[in-house]
Amino acid sequence: MAGTPEQTTVNQVAKLARIHLNEQQIESSAEKLAQILGYIGQLDEVELPEDVTPFFGAIESVNAIRDDQLQASVPRKEILDNAPDSDGEFYLVPPVF
Amino acid sequence: MTLSALNADVIVDQLNAGELKATDCVQYFLDRIQTHDAEINAFVSISQTALEQAEAIDQRRKAGQTVGCLAGLPIAIKDGICVSGQPTTAGSKMLEKFTPPYDATIVERLKSADAIIIGKTNMDEFAMGSSTENSFFGPTHNPWATDRVPGGSSGGSAACVASRLAPVAIGSDTGGSIRQPASFCGITGLKPTYGSVSRYGLIAFASSLDQIGPMTRTAKESALLMSVIAGFDPRDSTSSKAQITDCLSGLETPLNGIRIGVCRNQFNDGLDQEVETKINDATSVFKLLGAEIKEIELPHSQYAVAAYYVIAPCEASSNLARYDGVRYTFRAPGNDLEEMYRNTRGQGFGNEVKQRIMLGTYALSSGYYEAYYLKASKVRRMIKQDYDDAFQKVDLILGPTTPTPAFKLGEHAEDPLAMYLADVYTVSANLAGIPAISVPVGQSKNGLPIGLQLQGRAFEENTLLRAAHQFQNVTLWHDTSPSQPWRTQT
Repeated sequence: MAGTPEQTTVNQVAKLARIHLNEQQIESSAEKLAQILGYIGQLDEVELPEDVTPFFGAIESVNAIRDDQLQASVPRKEILDNAPDSDGEFYLVPPVF
Repeated sequence: MTLSALNADVIVDQLNAGELKATDCVQYFLDRIQTHDAEINAFVSISQTALEQAEAIDQRRKAGQTVGCLAGLPIAIKDGICVSGQPTTAGSKMLEKFTPPYDATIVERLKSADAIIIGKTNMDEFAMGSSTENSFFGPTHNPWATDRVPGGSSGGSAACVASRLAPVAIGSDTGGSIRQPASFCGITGLKPTYGSVSRYGLIAFASSLDQIGPMTRTAKESALLMSVIAGFDPRDSTSSKAQITDCLSGLETPLNGIRIGVCRNQFNDGLDQEVETKINDATSVFKLLGAEIKEIELPHSQYAVAAYYVIAPCEASSNLARYDGVRYTFRAPGNDLEEMYRNTRGQGFGNEVKQRIMLGTYALSSGYYEAYYLKASKVRRMIKQDYDDAFQKVDLILGPTTPTPAFKLGEHAEDPLAMYLADVYTVSANLAGIPAISVPVGQSKNGLPIGLQLQGRAFEENTLLRAAHQFQNVTLWHDTSPSQPWRTQT
């Protein structure tokens, strides 16, 4: 199992997850992550057969594909009603650059 | 007998017989919510149209028109499930103002059966928690002892059924979120087989584990709700075409010859003595009912919580990426797009949700995938294999639902691991995708409910419900209500 994360790693992970954390939160997050990763470390004890295949989902089905038919969807206005900012046609966001 | 003492199937019979009007029934439960919910906090929002819908059903019945099989029955829905036009928050500040423009498939099915959604119930934020303390809308209190948690994440649904603020409710279960609160609140809760109930319209936490199910006082009521909500849905790509067997018709079949497995390595140091005693007592009841009790082994179940706390946060970190301040109501300002994302997610998510997203992001980040997600998914295979082997020998597996009865509010606030271990007996069923039910089997000395879990083969909910129903035919724990102001009057 990989090592436990330092605060700098937590900072990096928060960046990847696009979550702003203040210093106190980073400290507490590092502590809790270390605790949980310590517990998760017991997975290393499991003797896995060489040929074991991972199980990713409870239903091992093939792709579910529907017929390509036009269907009514939720009206644009109703979807944009939940947006924090829109011009009635598109979502509006702060400057990208 | 007052309405609060009646089971949903009896309420439906009375409505159909014209002995009870849907409007009176809905008004009765709305009044109970008004009187008692300030102390319990089971509901996040109450439907403004429930009485109107009840009125329409009364009119249709009066006019001799056909009505659905649940016509006029009030039902509460966990707030992580979309109801068109009704605020749906998932217990989060992030979705405080979110109103879905569509119904979840199970909501559509309940509405087609003419059930009446009276409100949305409180939950741990994005279903992450085992106590309903992680809700933006404040904690829900256990109706048996208001200084204790109702369990979680479907704590609002469990509490509202236990206090009869609604006759029945719907919850969702990713690692135990239906069964653990059902156990803490002394009710019956079923996590169906993965794929048997559509997840369309369920706000996703961990998509390979999430499943919607009924939370009711009796197994018979759960069977009734399953007959409405289960079934293939083309809008959920993991919905199964293998249909579960009819749950209602076989309920009265005796348990003679059924083989029930008990896994002794689950009766370890972490298990409360009183819980163990009640589980042993209940095992004797199943023997008297004709079941053959056999010892089985699930050698990898001890690793289930560790595997779960890799897999679920990984899936959550991906699922919750959509809350970016663009589409779903909440946005915290920022000078550029990236800062807006970070501020929105920093302020909109609560601590536990942030923690789990961080854990998932870490485990999936470059260089760690094999050590965490891949390894956990291999252990998940071993856990599933254990069940496949066990179900060659037995039809059901019996054990405790939770290691202890309900704990106190705040008791595990600073210790996430202690909280996670409340799910130690329930997470395996989610990892393997099999159905499992919790039924009340007794009380601790200080009057807290204790639950027993039965697990079954995939798509054999009928066997689980039949066993639970047969148990409830000869016991009274499901019929016991808290000695509180909201006690049911008989």
